[in-house]
Amino acid sequence: MLNDLQLNSILEDFDIAYWKVNLFSKNLSWSDHFNALVGKPDTSEPFEYFLKEILHPDYRYDFRIYFDKLTSQNEPFSLELKLKLHNGKYRWFECRNLKNKDHSNRETAVLLFVNIHQAKRDQYTIEENYFYYHETAEMTSTGGWYVDTLHKNIYWDNVTKKIVNCPLDYQPAYEERLKFYAPEHHQRVLSSFEKCEKYGIPFKIELKMLSLHQKEFWVRATGKPVYNEEQEIVGIRGVYQDIDENKNNELNLQNSLDIIATQNSRLFNFAHVVSHHLRSHSSNLSLIVELLKEAKTDADKLELLPNVVDIADNLDAAISQLNEIVNKQSLLSKNRRIIKFEDALSGVMASTSSLINRENAKIVAEFNALEEISYISEYLESILLNLITNAIKYKHPGRKPVIYIQTYIENDKEYLEISDNGMGIDLDQYGDKMFGMYKTFHSNPEAKGIGLFITKNQVETLGGSISVTSTVDVGTTFKIKF
Amino acid sequence: MGQKVELACIIDDDKIYVNLVRKIIEIKKLSENLLIFKNGKEALDYFQLIMGNMTEDKLPDIIFLDLNMPVMDGWEFLSEFIKIKNNFEKKITLYVVSSSIDPRDLERAKSFNMVTDYLIKPIELKKFEKIFEKNNAA
Repeated sequence: MLNDLQLNSILEDFDIAYWKVNLFSKNLSWSDHFNALVGKPDTSEPFEYFLKEILHPDYRYDFRIYFDKLTSQNEPFSLELKLKLHNGKYRWFECRNLKNKDHSNRETAVLLFVNIHQAKRDQYTIEENYFYYHETAEMTSTGGWYVDTLHKNIYWDNVTKKIVNCPLDYQPAYEERLKFYAPEHHQRVLSSFEKCEKYGIPFKIELKMLSLHQKEFWVRATGKPVYNEEQEIVGIRGVYQDIDENKNNELNLQNSLDIIATQNSRLFNFAHVVSHHLRSHSSNLSLIVELLKEAKTDADKLELLPNVVDIADNLDAAISQLNEIVNKQSLLSKNRRIIKFEDALSGVMASTSSLINRENAKIVAEFNALEEISYISEYLESILLNLITNAIKYKHPGRKPVIYIQTYIENDKEYLEISDNGMGIDLDQYGDKMFGMYKTFHSNPEAKGIGLFITKNQVETLGGSISVTSTVDVGTTFKIKF
Repeated sequence: MGQKVELACIIDDDKIYVNLVRKIIEIKKLSENLLIFKNGKEALDYFQLIMGNMTEDKLPDIIFLDLNMPVMDGWEFLSEFIKIKNNFEKKITLYVVSSSIDPRDLERAKSFNMVTDYLIKPIELKKFEKIFEKNNAA
């Protein structure tokens, strides 16, 4: 057996201090280690001193009761408490009495003070970490999940269940695991999970998921393989982060960006017009002024006069064209309403009847598949007007113009198509310029080069797009997706 | 002033501008003759014809090329003309003349080696005279 000295040394090594309590006299004697920890008191009343100076005030009441019970009834106790060390700092200790196996020997009780500060701190750290994890998970809507690939089970934590909008006692079935993903992302999910399960490749993907009630939402999903001791993959662990709001914001932002880019390009085009078109007239005017200065005789000066008249006319025409463009674009504030294609077309045909009659043009319309549309009526009429007059203007010299107009629905999208049998256009050469401003491709004196520019603008302003196919000498088809 | 330019060429669809330039050339006696095309295509057709006939005396000494024209614009003409100009022995000076003050147009014009300069309309009479003189001296 160990003697007291050896025992003391072991206890010290474990940072365990103790009191010996004489149950009759209630006298305390502190172990050397205890004295070393808290500083040897210079008092005849070590118990009171302990309560007042060493024990943290929070534990005084409890400790006194336990201590009394121990001394009066030999009732064992265990209490976690804080003691002030000689350096003035509090440390955690567990205080408990050493069980006395020998019931006859009831003279003394031993009270152990075991330093548990590190353990206590670890416990706090864990609690704190858990708290932060929990708060972070809640705040960022990040839910954890685990797929047991060996036993084909899925486990979700509460945040995941909240994200998926299912009750807390819901248990997702392994066989139905795909039903929580949008169908278009099934392939991605399967391949990501498969690669992780087979080869241990972690993944981090953005996915569209489906809630229990089939509502779509975006998540960022990360997954990592879980290995057993034999280094075999037994599961995949990961998190879902609900990024629906972010993703939608991102998509909205992209959308706004696109709109701004379109408007910007319109502005550029406009600046281009001012630079190009108005300047060409003003520069002619300056040239004339110079020539007038140079002219020696009145006859020379008079000769220049018709040019001035021409420039004035051209300038006037250019300005009214610009005005027209500005006016059309400012219609934006108008509201959409349901318009019958038939009505819009008959309005356009009435206003172009002289042109149609002069050219003997034939217009065939098929609106059965899609009779009406929610649109700005001025736009629709302007679009029809531009495309019809275009088709007649660029008719094939050898035949009467025939224009075929039809509407239809394809993949839930509404379309308008206007085809003609006109002279057609070489799209390889002109395709990218078709819809630019002041682009004319035929030496047709009536070509002003703003019609298709305006049409494209109108279509795009309302969120649609326009495309063109054409074959030289056969005809042209414009297709508008609303 | 030295010898006049034999043949100048204007490719431009602005009739008024062409008229005025014609007048300037007449008054200042800058060139013996003047070729006028109202778009790039017409001009290109002409040059291709000359290439076939090898009648180099019908080639202009100087070309004033507009950018914005129907059917074939100045840019398209430039990229086509580059392909055939080495068939000619005669040195042809080419100026891009435009009312566009867009710096991107200016940059793009300068990217063509054969473009001597980019002139912004209106061109002053004195500038015109200088260009013709310079062309003579060369």
